[in-house]
Amino acid sequence: MDKETKDLNQQAGLSTDGSQFLTFSLGDELYGVDILRVQEIKGYTAVTKIPNTPSHIKGVLNLRGTIVPIVELRTKFGMPTIDYTTFTVIIVVVVQDKVMGLVVDAVSDVLDIEKKDIQSAPDFGNQVDVTFLNGVGKSGDKLISLLDIDRLLLDSAGKDLSKDVPVAAAA
Amino acid sequence: MSNDFAQFQDAFFDEAAEHLAVVEEGLLELEQHPEDLDLLNKIFRSAHSIKGTAGMFGFNAVAQFTHKMETLLDLLRNGQKAVSPSIADLLLKSTDCLKTLIESVKTGAAVDEETARRLTTELAAASASDSQPAVAGSTNKVAPAGSAANCSGDRTYVIAWTPPEWLFQRGLDPLQTFKELKNLGSLTEVTLDMSRLPELADIDSEKCYLSWGMQLTTDKDQTVIESAFEFVREDSALSIQLVENKGAQAQSLITETSASAETESPKPLGEILVESGVVSRETLDQALAQQKRVGQILVEQKAATPQQVEQALQKQRQQESAAQAKKTDTTSIRVDTAKIDKLINLVGELVITQSMLSDLGSRFEMRQLPVLLERMVELERNTREIQERVMSIRMLPIGTAFARFPRLVRDLSAKAGKKIQLVLSGEETELDKTVIESIGDPLTHLVRNSADHGLEPPEERLDNNKPEVGTIRLNAFHEGGTICITVEDDGRGLNRDKILAKAIKQGLISESEKLTDDQIWPLVFKPGFSTAEKITDISGRGVGMDVVKRNIENLGGTVSIKTRKGYGTTFTLKLPLTLAIIDGMTVRVGKETYIIPLLSILESIQPKAELIKTVVGKGELINVRGTYIPMVRLYEVFASEPEYTDPKEAILLILETEGERVAVMVDEILGQQQVVIKSMEQNFRKVEGVAGATILGDGRVGFIVDVRGVLEIARHGHPVAA
Repeated sequence: MDKETKDLNQQAGLSTDGSQFLTFSLGDELYGVDILRVQEIKGYTAVTKIPNTPSHIKGVLNLRGTIVPIVELRTKFGMPTIDYTTFTVIIVVVVQDKVMGLVVDAVSDVLDIEKKDIQSAPDFGNQVDVTFLNGVGKSGDKLISLLDIDRLLLDSAGKDLSKDVPVAAAA
Repeated sequence: MSNDFAQFQDAFFDEAAEHLAVVEEGLLELEQHPEDLDLLNKIFRSAHSIKGTAGMFGFNAVAQFTHKMETLLDLLRNGQKAVSPSIADLLLKSTDCLKTLIESVKTGAAVDEETARRLTTELAAASASDSQPAVAGSTNKVAPAGSAANCSGDRTYVIAWTPPEWLFQRGLDPLQTFKELKNLGSLTEVTLDMSRLPELADIDSEKCYLSWGMQLTTDKDQTVIESAFEFVREDSALSIQLVENKGAQAQSLITETSASAETESPKPLGEILVESGVVSRETLDQALAQQKRVGQILVEQKAATPQQVEQALQKQRQQESAAQAKKTDTTSIRVDTAKIDKLINLVGELVITQSMLSDLGSRFEMRQLPVLLERMVELERNTREIQERVMSIRMLPIGTAFARFPRLVRDLSAKAGKKIQLVLSGEETELDKTVIESIGDPLTHLVRNSADHGLEPPEERLDNNKPEVGTIRLNAFHEGGTICITVEDDGRGLNRDKILAKAIKQGLISESEKLTDDQIWPLVFKPGFSTAEKITDISGRGVGMDVVKRNIENLGGTVSIKTRKGYGTTFTLKLPLTLAIIDGMTVRVGKETYIIPLLSILESIQPKAELIKTVVGKGELINVRGTYIPMVRLYEVFASEPEYTDPKEAILLILETEGERVAVMVDEILGQQQVVIKSMEQNFRKVEGVAGATILGDGRVGFIVDVRGVLEIARHGHPVAA
């Protein structure tokens, strides 16, 4: 496929060979989620804390009448928390039939990443838990960790968010 | 199944369920009044509707099975066969089978073909044994042919008939032809081919687009059969073939399978080969055993690692379960048109009020303030009324939940060898659809329990000067803001000594404990508790009573027991009218707002310091007019920041849950309001101590306190260590 058609396709929002990802940043790192799983992006608003839940569950939010749990992705990954800025957003994703929000530092871009530019998740043994990654993608000189949000937000039973330990701290 | 009817299928399933209920109810009643013709007609009509619509949607298995039932019903209706217990039983079993057939179409689950086939044969047998004298009565000449159907001179013909398109235009009725064929011998495997049927818009109602296939077993020869088609022979495509060898039968089997493959999932290739006799079952099994899963092959060829395959499989399973969940999730509700009309009127009023308000707002002056306030009052009234009406849409009479019990009790009494009559009352009591759906299982369990444990066998009853027939009474009525359902039996009552002995054996209580009756009865709700001497398949496995209690409590209700030895037992379920809205007290703890269900609040007090005592330095008790009640600080349970830690400054709410009282400490009472319960489970999971969430006036989320859960956390600590 020549570059022109590919650009045209991209303008028309058509994925070529691969998928589109919404990318966002946590600190210096870039992450991506499958764009088809994203319902909406909204600015950060205060949430209601849920009693007795793991710390990465930030709380719940009223999203036009439905109660949506909000996950603090930094805490989930065991990264230090930072103060929220005007860039802090909530990415609302659909995980199986559930709607959830992810608090991230900032959204950056929607990227087409071709299959050939995606390699499987690196193996760090038990030093770093990467089971929630589908793989890592390249775009220019950027590295994007592609999240498997099903794995990230649901445990194997497909229900429970109560996993106590932030995944990255499991080691 | 991707046909144009897809959107109407849900309606079919709803309707079929209703018709099935009518059939079942009717059959049960028919057992009592076998000669009630109106009843038979009613049953027949419902069965007929199921057949008709099932056929329309192409659910051939359902249609064919119902057809067999209908044949028998028709004979009963025409008085050619009397309703006997065995026939009623057969029909009831067939109704069950039909239910599973329809269910399998709906969910795509596997069909119990064995039962279906057995029942089909039984139905056919019951109809056939009866149709013969009937035929003999109507046409003498043919009778010997009918009764000779099983003679050695019988031959089976496969007939395929496509009538000419002008059939109806000439006023001819294909049914006449079938009647005539039936008189010749036994007509089986009649199939209707609707493949030539055009789109509805293109149908010429006077044209015949149908064709039939059938098998006729008779001792007559081919010319006689052909004569049956005499009037319609012209322009017909007619083939009559004598079936002699097995091969031909196999042939017909293959074509039959391929014909039904359109609607049902096709049979695997191997099955068809075995059925047609090309390969033997063993050969097939061997071949299948050699077959490998795709994943295995890929791994062997090193195209994928086992982990990748495992991941892919897991994904597949997830998708399957998600798809399954979606399939079964759609439910609908039938609403009285009057309710909807009223709602539409109210919405009309709301729109008018809204436009008046916006009109007022666009050129508002201070002197119009009274008008504005008046409009606001109107708006509030409108909104409240609409809310009530919308809620009432979800309200159904509890009779729908009771409907299954006559059948259940009938089967139970037969199984347990007891004589039981069931008395239902209060069926018209309305309550929320979700509540009705959720109380079905607990109620079933209680009724089973009464039938199995509660009621005595007939001899024992007679010995005790009781009527031979035991009675189970189901009653529903409103009481305050709740609905009460009682399950009452006039059996032997709970056995105090047995329960005590069992409880001591299970280590639930110690031997030295002196318990009052009211403390003993709830023991039967403990998990694994059953005093039945022998385990029956009706009940007695010790699962159940605890499940009953848990289910009812999940609905925000309570179960209580009243029993008198020798006179019977009454279980009383108290349930909220609706699960969607509760009256709540909004309270504040620090910055958080919580809602406490009004039903559980007894009173609120501002305690004096000297009323609060501690036990072992920690457990706090508050003296409320002479009774010490345990005190729970809500901020400790919910790990939040309070404004006051000193009970003197705070407010204590005295709450009651399951007969226990507890004082809960909060910062401030904000007010009382109706709140709409929003599910936490929908997008998250159940949170201990929280019954649900709601949206507060400022758009934020507030939690509804689960009093029981809070008490549990206070006693046993947090389920998730924070």
